[in-house]
Amino acid sequence: MKTTLQTQPKIADPDGFYEKLLDAHRGLTDEQCAQLDARLILLLAHQVGDDRVLAECIEAAARPFAEAAR
Amino acid sequence: MPDDHTLPAAIRTATAVTGGTYELPVYPFVEPAELRGERLRHPVVIVGAGLTGLTAACDCALRGIPAVVLDEDDTVGVRGAASRGICYAQKSLEIYKRLGIHDRMLAKGIQWSVGRTFAGSDEVYSFDLKKMQTHSVSEQPPFINLQQFYLEWFLVERIYELGLVELRWKNRLIEIAPNEDHVVLTVVTPSGPYTLEASWVIDCCGAHSVIRDKLGVHATGSKIPDRWCISDVRFEREPPAERWTWIEAPFNENRAVWQHLMADRVWRLDYQMPADADPEAISRPEVVADRLRRQFGPDVKYELVWVGPYAYRSLCLDTFRVGRVLFAGDAAHVMSPFGARGGNSGIQDADNLVWKLALVLEGKASERLLDSYAVERRQAALDNIRITNRTTRFLSPPTRVEKRFRDAVISLAREFAFARAFVNTGRLSSPSRYADSPIAAGEHAGVHVQNVALTLPNGARGDLVELLQWCDHAVLGFLYVDLDGYVARELEGLEERYPVRFLCVQSEEGRTCTFPTVIDDEGKLTAQLHAAPGAVALVRPDLYLAGTLDEPSAADIERALRKLLAIE
Repeated sequence: MKTTLQTQPKIADPDGFYEKLLDAHRGLTDEQCAQLDARLILLLAHQVGDDRVLAECIEAAARPFAEAAR
Repeated sequence: MPDDHTLPAAIRTATAVTGGTYELPVYPFVEPAELRGERLRHPVVIVGAGLTGLTAACDCALRGIPAVVLDEDDTVGVRGAASRGICYAQKSLEIYKRLGIHDRMLAKGIQWSVGRTFAGSDEVYSFDLKKMQTHSVSEQPPFINLQQFYLEWFLVERIYELGLVELRWKNRLIEIAPNEDHVVLTVVTPSGPYTLEASWVIDCCGAHSVIRDKLGVHATGSKIPDRWCISDVRFEREPPAERWTWIEAPFNENRAVWQHLMADRVWRLDYQMPADADPEAISRPEVVADRLRRQFGPDVKYELVWVGPYAYRSLCLDTFRVGRVLFAGDAAHVMSPFGARGGNSGIQDADNLVWKLALVLEGKASERLLDSYAVERRQAALDNIRITNRTTRFLSPPTRVEKRFRDAVISLAREFAFARAFVNTGRLSSPSRYADSPIAAGEHAGVHVQNVALTLPNGARGDLVELLQWCDHAVLGFLYVDLDGYVARELEGLEERYPVRFLCVQSEEGRTCTFPTVIDDEGKLTAQLHAAPGAVALVRPDLYLAGTLDEPSAADIERALRKLLAIE
């Protein structure tokens, strides 16, 4: 199946985004970080809003672990 | 108590039994003809007079099948457990409209519109169904709450009223022996054992089916480590008539709690318990009292109607048909109670099966039509199991990470409407699409057709169910074609050879037609049939679309009918 994932650079300020992401986790415990990430994933997923793209994102993100399990 | 104008004298004088604080009817044991030495071959024997069995029996009576129902008990509900299912969804209400008990259900049952969901000490969100947009075009409400035994009670009375089906109380099946052209059943009664013969058997024995075990039908399923305890109560001072659901109730050690209103001002309180809880310990009156005080305050005054601890599993038979035995309801599939999918799917099993069985018995369809029952309803069961398992996973997250995602959903749902869609406290039963149906006879086959309002051929305002009754429960052939005399004669020929009634559909009163005419002035029927000008749509007697044909010839329609009836 042909992928519909956007894989080419797109975010205008990658360093700025990355910094904001890290800063949001600063000072949190590992458990709090995991909670933050869960909230963030759900919020971002809603912005994407396309079942097929979401399924491909989950699959792409899980790929290293799926391969490790094999 | 239901009014008893329809009951035969023997039933009217029946004594009552107490199940909880309900007064339940007791039906008399009548010695069956077989015990007087008669040997009879019954067309259909239904084993088990629960929701599924009684629904099938009532449909048999309407279709002229003199079925026999065997039940080991002599009352409705389960003795000592007089309340199980509490919610009946739209498709079930459409079915019961056809069977003739819908108005009594609506008069007795409860409709709520405001639901509130809580986690911790405060509300996460609420909704009012009356203010929400609905995609439903059915004449029936989305659901009603009603104790299951009332529904069974109405069905029993309706069956007595129709008079054709024999209800054999205190008849317990102990053995089954399948043969090539019939099945022999051994039954024990207060007057001793007997055997009876059936052309077809419907197993509606429930989750612990003897027939399933005796025939060695393989099933796949899984245990689910989740335990609940129901307390049905009447309050002196009632809570608001709303449905309240706690995902995490502080008064129940942060486990889930349901609070629903049923008939007779009885509230169903359902508490999630620790997975390893002792069923006996959690249902002791003093333990129940303690739970109620924690929820409603130390001074709560109530009458305890019924207490029932339960666990559940998921299970689905590998096949729903073994020769002349058909499996339906909990005997065929078991799932968690979330979304009221157990009872509602058993009702739909019966609705799917009985028209097929009737046509097979009348010689108008091939026996292979019954295989379509097995395929369609097994697929529906697997849908239901998948959907209820998702709810279970939300309500009792098995791992830390799943709990963490649930926490994220709850925290987002407080702020943002989108996240409320992830809150899964049960998805109410809705009709499955029969995607793999072997009797698909055209486009859009296997889609449920809702009971829409329309004008009947006699000019009266009515609905699709009433049209089906008017057409004697036949297949409905909706014509969107221009008929010339030749085509009309060909279609009349099909009506003589097949159990189909053709109907012209018009959007307003106007031209006359060779066939009876229905007026779909709001276009709701036509939209559901996906019918363009020139189309013919065949609707099954269980109100599923058999298929829509685009500008078919009479030969095309005949081919579709033969496919639908499994005649090759």
